[in-house]
Amino acid sequence: MADAKQQITDQIRQQQAIGNARALVEKLNEHCFERCIPKPGPSLSSAESTCFSACMEKYMAAWGAVSRQYLVHVQKGSAAGGGAGLGA
Amino acid sequence: MDSANISPETMQQLQNMSVQEKQELNQFIQNENQKAQIQGVIHSLTDTCFRKCVTSKISAGALDRNEQSCMQNCVDRFMDANNTIIQNLERMRSL
Repeated sequence: MADAKQQITDQIRQQQAIGNARALVEKLNEHCFERCIPKPGPSLSSAESTCFSACMEKYMAAWGAVSRQYLVHVQKGSAAGGGAGLGA
Repeated sequence: MDSANISPETMQQLQNMSVQEKQELNQFIQNENQKAQIQGVIHSLTDTCFRKCVTSKISAGALDRNEQSCMQNCVDRFMDANNTIIQNLERMRSL
């Protein structure tokens, strides 16, 4: 019996992780494409690809900063909302 | 979320699970749901705040000091805004 539970929790964890990673990749692409490739040329220039890697790092740093700051609010218990609160 | 692909055997095992195990599983799912919700808020806040705080040309990978504090303020003010809206709605409801 125990391993049915194990199987389900593993699957949920995995789907959760995949969903979270997918959301991040989507945002990275959206922001960095917008910022680094204003006028798409016939190939990816080296300036564009340098911009892309800086942009990715920066966005992930921003994501980390938001996570830390938001968790402060969650832990204070004032976070019921943050977008999810009302409709629920 | 995707519909989980649960085999018939697992389904059977699920039905045979003890009450305690079912409760544990239920609790686990609730926790994971909450986690997913929090992660979702973090994604959308990062999106909003990045737009507002990182406006100059991107040349370095790290956040500079202004961007860093802007991101933190952005999250804090978003929470304030959220609370203000809830308070205002409460007030409107009691009119």
